[in-house]
Order: sequence, then structure tokens, then C-alpha cells
Amino acid sequence: MNEAKVSIMRSEPAVSSEVKFEEFKVPVVEGMVVLDAVHYIQNNIDTTIGVRWNCKAARCGSCAAEINGSPRLMCKTRMEDAGPEVQIKPMRAFPVVKDLVTDLSHGYEVAKKIPPFTPRPEMKSPYKIQQIDITRSKEFRLCIECFLCMDVCHVIREHHSDYFGPKHVVKIAALDLHPADSVDRSELLHNEGGLGYCDITKCCQEVCPEGIRITDNAIIPEKERIVDHVYDPIGRLIRAARRRKW
Amino acid sequence: MMSSKKQSRFAFPELFEFNWRLWSFVLLLLMSGAVLFLNPVSPYLGYTDPFYSPTVLVIPVVALFRITCYAYRKDYYRHVFKHPLACKADIRGEKENRPYSGERSFFALNNFHRYFLYVGVALLPFFYYDFYISLVYYSGYFTLRLGSIILLANALLLTLWTVSCHAFRHLTGGHIECYSCKVAPNFRKKFYLGQSFLNAFHEDFAFISLAFVIAVDIYIRALIVGLPIDYTFFKVLI
Repeated sequence: MNEAKVSIMRSEPAVSSEVKFEEFKVPVVEGMVVLDAVHYIQNNIDTTIGVRWNCKAARCGSCAAEINGSPRLMCKTRMEDAGPEVQIKPMRAFPVVKDLVTDLSHGYEVAKKIPPFTPRPEMKSPYKIQQIDITRSKEFRLCIECFLCMDVCHVIREHHSDYFGPKHVVKIAALDLHPADSVDRSELLHNEGGLGYCDITKCCQEVCPEGIRITDNAIIPEKERIVDHVYDPIGRLIRAARRRKW
Repeated sequence: MMSSKKQSRFAFPELFEFNWRLWSFVLLLLMSGAVLFLNPVSPYLGYTDPFYSPTVLVIPVVALFRITCYAYRKDYYRHVFKHPLACKADIRGEKENRPYSGERSFFALNNFHRYFLYVGVALLPFFYYDFYISLVYYSGYFTLRLGSIILLANALLLTLWTVSCHAFRHLTGGHIECYSCKVAPNFRKKFYLGQSFLNAFHEDFAFISLAFVIAVDIYIRALIVGLPIDYTFFKVLI
């Protein structure tokens, strides 16, 4: 039986400011994921390790952490891929509650600022929507809200700006591209959401465990909508002449 | 998180950093610009150098089209400015206290990409015209030479890069929320999906087409100095 060295970053800011790495030896069996290793430690070595998890099937997005420096889901990272020495850290962009558990409440505060789905007045419930119109918005419904994209985004992680973050741009794009929705949230994203801070380096797209093309399909289309409003005077004139809505 | 707001006072804070990547990149751009303007290539045996088609004066506009392109933006923010260099924690090259303005001040100019796209689309037919001219250069003959095929490949790569652009995607179908409300919804949606398929390879097309344009320029310059690297496949009377 193989053995792996699992090093976990331990801290509990409410109790002390100490931050340390603790190393554990974990027997590796075939098909084991990093979350299994953390569970093994919790059950057999140290019961005080704080870890948030729920489904262990990459559906709930609870067990996001930084494994060997890469933001990943612990339940979706196999031990054999992680190597013989595995370092697990909490997501650095968010305040730590205990060990691997981080406080994601800011994300929910931002989510409250986003105007909800507002159907066009002529639409009657239940809404009838053509398949041809729904596919673009549907991609973003895959989001499991694991916050890995927020963690890897340098605008949030290093520059602490007021940018809403990729996860919320995905949410906004899902609503904006919805065929039955009547609100345009791109101006909110430009003014309050700080989308201008995003420099489309596509880290969010690289780490997304659901494979959502965040930058190509959500951020850049929203940026282009902002260009329509703010940076394209000729386009605005043409649209005004044709008396069209944005 | 996000409690302190360290936003830059400067429009272009990276300009004040000690960054050899940026200045060597600028130097390289200036040198290549100088070479293109000081050593122009006139059409040779029916081959027109893509940098001089239709005129060398469009080079600054084409350069701006490239610089404001989303594919290149990603690469120079990463590899020139290290914002961030990579996504992994230990090789990000990004620091907490670095001033950063993103695309809100100076780089907000990148939002004018679509205007350069219009120029880019208008320039595309010239490359196909150059291909045609190289075929019928010898009067009375239709000639297929290696150089003509290279010119055609260049024109195709530039077309692929231009039509796979994100701004092109937004303007041709991305801005539509309700396809079924438009005329010819199936055609528009299929066009959008086809364009999106190409868009996934936009970064590849961006760099392959750039390298190819430079290669074609070097090829034609090599022909002019007399290197025997052209090959005539056939020459028929018309």
C-alpha cells in the first residue's frame, strides 16, 4: 500500500493568530481523492481538522481548497494525480474560519446587489421559451458556486478591488442572456461591479470544475455589452437612429 | 477580503515599475516597426508582402487591432505585466501591494477593439487580391507557385483570426438574447454557433497568423536577395 504525505494548513483566527502546516501520513488506495485523505486524517489521526464538504461528487462546490497551489475541488482531485506529497491550503482570497473552512459570506452580499430575473411584461407564466434561445444561458446554470474562480482571480485575491468577481459575472450573464428577461445588468457591472478591473487572463476559466467558459462566454460578452453602452459612440448613434433598445 | 481598496492613482501604474519584459517588448516593437518602414519591400514577381498590402501606412492600425485583441490582451497582461503570470499560487508573480488599474483607465482604450475590427475586415480582400495577382503575374499564363500558396494560406489564416474575434462574435450574434424573435433565427443561431466554434481557437489563430505574416515577409525578402526557394507547380496558357 502506498503512503502519501498530506500537509494541511492549520489556523483558527478567532482563537490565535498562529498559522502552521501539519503533516500527516495517509495510506493511499486506488481511486482515493484528496477529500478521502482529509477524512482519513479526521477519523483516525486528528479529529479537530476543520473542513467543509457535503456531496463528495463535485456537485455542491463546498470542498474548494488549494491543492499543491492550484485551486481545486478536494473531491475531484485524485491522490495519484496530486503526487506523493500533497499540500492543502484554504482558499486564500477569503478569510479563514478554521483550517480549510473559509468565510464566503461576501459573495452572498454581492449576490444581493444583482437584480433578480425580471420577465418581459408581455410574458405570461408559465413562460414558453424556444430551445434555440435558451442554450447560451443554460451553460451558466452549471455553476456549483464553489468560488474557485473567485479565489484564483488576481483582482480579488491580490488587489482587493470592488470587482464583483467571475462567479457573479456568470450569474449576471445567465440572467442577461436569458431570452425572457427584460433587465440589462451590464451598466451595474460597469459602474458598481468593477468589470473594468478584469483583464481577461482566463484563470477563472482554467480552474472552473464545471468547464464553464467563464471568460469567453460570460465576461467578454458582458464587456462587449459595456462597450455598446459606453465606448462605442458610432454604434450608439446607429442604434438611436434605428430606435432600437440596447 | 475586499476591506481595503488599494486602487491606483495612475492611469498606467505598470509604466513606473522596473519591468524588463515591458521595455524589451517595446524595444522589439520599435525595432520591427523601424525595419518595416525603413526597408520596404516592393512587389516582386507578383508577390506582395502582406505588411505592404495595400500600403505600409495601415500597419499602425493593424498593430492596434492586434494589441487590442482579447487573445493578445490575455497574453501581455500575463507575460509582460504579470497580472498574474500564471494561475497557480507559487508562480503567479503577482504581489498584494502592486498598484493596479485594470482596464478602467489607460487600458480602457482596449474597448475600441471593434473599430479596428472594422478596418481589419476591410483589409482582408486585399490579401486575396494579392493571391490572385501572383497567379496571373506572367501575362497570358496562369501560374501556380509555392509563393502563391503561401500567400493564400496567409490570407486564410488572417481571415480565420479576424472572424473568430470576440468583438465579431458579439456584433454578429452575441448581442442577441432572443433568436426566435429575429428574422431567420436558425441561420443566425447556426452562424453564431459556427463562429463560437472558431472563437474557441482564437488565441491559436492569433499567434499562428502573426507568425505566418512574419514568415511570409521573410520568404519574400529571401526571394528578393536571390534564394532559390520558390517552386513552380505549373504554368499554363490562358
